Amino acid sequence: MQQFRMRYLLLSSCLFFFLSCSTTHKQTQFAISDISSLQKFKPAFTVALYNTQVDVVGNHLSGLLIIKKMPDSSTRLVFSNEIGFKFFDFEFSADGKFKVYSVIKQMNKRSVLKTLRKDFELILMDHLENVSIRTENGLLYYVVPQTKGYNYYITDSLGNKLIRLERASKTKTVVEAFMENYINGIPDTIGISHKTFNFTIGLKRIER
Amino acid sequence: MRKIILITLVLIAGFSSKAQYAGYSPVTDLTKFRTEFAAATQKTNSIKSDFTQEKNLSMLSEKIISKGKFWFKKENQVRMEYSQPYQYLMILNKDKVFVKDGQKENKISTKSNKLFQQINKIMIDCMQGTALNNPDFKTKVFDNKNNSLVELTPLTKAMKGLFKSFNVTVDKKDFSVVSIEMQELSGDNTLIRFTNKELNATIPDAIFTIK
Repeated sequence: MQQFRMRYLLLSSCLFFFLSCSTTHKQTQFAISDISSLQKFKPAFTVALYNTQVDVVGNHLSGLLIIKKMPDSSTRLVFSNEIGFKFFDFEFSADGKFKVYSVIKQMNKRSVLKTLRKDFELILMDHLENVSIRTENGLLYYVVPQTKGYNYYITDSLGNKLIRLERASKTKTVVEAFMENYINGIPDTIGISHKTFNFTIGLKRIER
Repeated sequence: MRKIILITLVLIAGFSSKAQYAGYSPVTDLTKFRTEFAAATQKTNSIKSDFTQEKNLSMLSEKIISKGKFWFKKENQVRMEYSQPYQYLMILNKDKVFVKDGQKENKISTKSNKLFQQINKIMIDCMQGTALNNPDFKTKVFDNKNNSLVELTPLTKAMKGLFKSFNVTVDKKDFSVVSIEMQELSGDNTLIRFTNKELNATIPDAIFTIK
């Protein structure tokens, strides 16, 4: 009886281990496609201003997000409300570092900053390293491994249209995002939606 | 040698006090200014104007410019309607704030939101001429030929952590507000300039109604 229990325990542990190791998207088929084709969806930000709507667990926040490529190749993101009150000022440097120039007290929490950093890194597409391509349901999945989990850039079968972006842990999709209507290499509309809690960011470009 | 050092120090001190606001010099008789300011603003029951807001992001060398219309009516009623390059409406009515940002409408009680309460108070204090009496700020006044500049330095912990100062420029003729500048600790600032001002125009109360 004890031997049976031991075997059962071992089997269920192994099963749990394999289940938890399986990635969100079953990457069964390798596709033959050019990884560099993903680069065409990387937003070519010089400077862009977005009308921004943020909804987080029942709270609504609106304002303006300015995204600017700096001379040192870093990207600055500054979010303020319509009357000029600044919520945050972040820098994403070319070598992958993240710097907080300013953030309001209410947002100055490690988990909040980490979430925002990862969300914007998914959108900025600055570090597309070790990319592999797989197919699933007729779509191409460009898989970019992260320290924990993956970033997925999902296109149509020909790699011509960016369908959606995903940020995933090893077991589930954490964030879904989209970038649409590129004008001169800059998306006109960007949406970020969290799957594990109620948090969305909507960006609509403002012509100045 | 000591004399040279002393003269140099005096000169530097003189220049730096004058250079605080280019073209402005400090007003020494604050009581007189306060009396005149209060008397003039007492006569102003309403203001209707256009405004241009300039947000300067110093490290990014970028400016975000927006425009709209402004209404003020005694007591404690302000409406700011941004129309370019985005739509945004903010109504301050007594202790309530109403915000409409294109998609959503939001009512905020300034009683529960201290930051809004303070910003609300600054805006209304500037228009009503009671800014000089606000105990939450240290006040300094400077003037030039045409304008007076009221520098309001926050004294409360919450505001000190966000803003260096609020600088309100008023027209010496009628003490009406020419501009309000919010200076952040980072060196960034937001400047709202009021143009095409109509003082004491008839403004219906309905314009400030929070539904």
